[in-house]
Amino acid sequence: MARTKLAKLLFLPAIPLALVLAQTPSSQPQTQSGPAVLTVTGDVPMPLTLKAEDLAAMPREKASIPDQDGTEVEYEGVPLREILKRAGAPLGGQLRGKALASYVLAKAKDGYQVVFTLGEIDAAFGNEQIIVADKRDGKSLFGYQGPFRLVCPKDKAGARSVRMLETLEFVKLQK
Amino acid sequence: MPKRLISALFLVALTGRWAVAAESDKAGDYQWNLPKGFPKPYVPADNPMSAAKVDLGRYLFYDTRMSVNGKESCASCHKQDLAFTDGRATGLGATGESHSRSAMSLVNVAWSGALTWSNPEMRSLEKQALVPMFGEHPVELGLREGDRFLPMLQSDAKYRALFEQAFPNETDRFTIDNVTRAIASFERSIISGRSPYDRYHYDRDDSAVSDAAKRGEVQFFDQRLSCFRCHGGFNFTDSTVSERNAKRPIEFHNTGLYNLPGLLSYPPPNVGIYEFTKAPADVGKFKAPTLRNIALTAPYMHDGSIPTLEGVLDHYAAGGRNGHNPNKDPLIGGFTISQQNRDDLIEFLKSLTDDAVIHDPKFANPWPAK
Repeated sequence: MARTKLAKLLFLPAIPLALVLAQTPSSQPQTQSGPAVLTVTGDVPMPLTLKAEDLAAMPREKASIPDQDGTEVEYEGVPLREILKRAGAPLGGQLRGKALASYVLAKAKDGYQVVFTLGEIDAAFGNEQIIVADKRDGKSLFGYQGPFRLVCPKDKAGARSVRMLETLEFVKLQK
Repeated sequence: MPKRLISALFLVALTGRWAVAAESDKAGDYQWNLPKGFPKPYVPADNPMSAAKVDLGRYLFYDTRMSVNGKESCASCHKQDLAFTDGRATGLGATGESHSRSAMSLVNVAWSGALTWSNPEMRSLEKQALVPMFGEHPVELGLREGDRFLPMLQSDAKYRALFEQAFPNETDRFTIDNVTRAIASFERSIISGRSPYDRYHYDRDDSAVSDAAKRGEVQFFDQRLSCFRCHGGFNFTDSTVSERNAKRPIEFHNTGLYNLPGLLSYPPPNVGIYEFTKAPADVGKFKAPTLRNIALTAPYMHDGSIPTLEGVLDHYAAGGRNGHNPNKDPLIGGFTISQQNRDDLIEFLKSLTDDAVIHDPKFANPWPAK
């Protein structure tokens, strides 16, 4: 299972501002709990609206990682590449040429956004384990963490582990 | 004869004390009983935790004979019912000298990577204990080298028993080093992790906090407010270290409280870690304190200049006060917040109040009432 010595998830006080693509400090925070759906939108042939039960039926993975304070935490969910595959994103043999100029914009309920390139996700390239998690230590994510979040066990910093994940927008830069 | 028994007998023959082996067994096997989500704290190798040291430390912590006027103790500025703060804007020493900063809470200080408001070099509770005992700028307890403090301890039958239990293998056990080791051990034992929020978040008890507190938690962790950036983790501060994370760099922040003209944009002597680093960019940078029990620890900020939690929210919503300090943390950018959202956020902060820690007899004054 992938691990690093460094702090991984949430809370990180020094998230590089460059990674925060959309912060609007003067706007109001949202207060209602997030919708229990995850949408996959953008340049994909099959946009998805996934509910908790849909994720439960998909291939699942676990990752044990230390949180910021050193406590070991186990997350469970669906590999991001499985979700993108279901939406028809060009992975595997299709990932070549112009398709390599593609990325996924992960958007959170509070406006936070981060980017993953398709190359780092695909098994033949970066093969990075990135999980759309819905469970932490066997329990459903709730409150400010859930119902879905990203977990990036190989990242040394936790800033891409987006909490309150709502949308995965697929963008093809060269069509 | 078993090898361990031979070793033990050798030690007894060498020192004439069974207690050598007894202490080595006791030291380090302290039962932390940590709350869920709390990592094991970092403890210096030369002062392993033991129940006996914690016990001795508690007696010392509450002993008014540890002050020049015989009236003050560590507990004068660190009162249990106020989450080990004193309710004052700034501290008051045994000689009546007013301090420049407020007394920080001691709850969960075992995880504090830097001690006091703005000293990046003070990372040892044992060393820090010397400051209130012997410090002259300002005077806190007002002890001086050569005072009859150590002879007093040695002449007290209660202390003779406590020191023997805490340091059984030392012939000269009545030392300042041992006093600070014991006080530090007691301070490390003051753990707060039984708040309603803990029951909600770690035990998943939905009834432990109000709906308003649940909404407030989501706001607290919202990127647009970014409270969690400086007050994150299980201890709601970015100055946390633990056994497996002991050397983590500690962050200090300028929150835009002041903006005086010139280099020292904060009123001396409270100039932040600049006092130690002498880097102009460090003027006004202070540690983000834990938010656990924050509703009990008013007034707020390093100089107690904001009396209420609502006032603190106003401060951050405005993006600081007194103009734009050049060293102000970019996270202090200001935000708009509705009255409902403010109320929810305050309810969340109140849910961090741990009634158990302020009533636990383990942390209370052990001396009989006078």
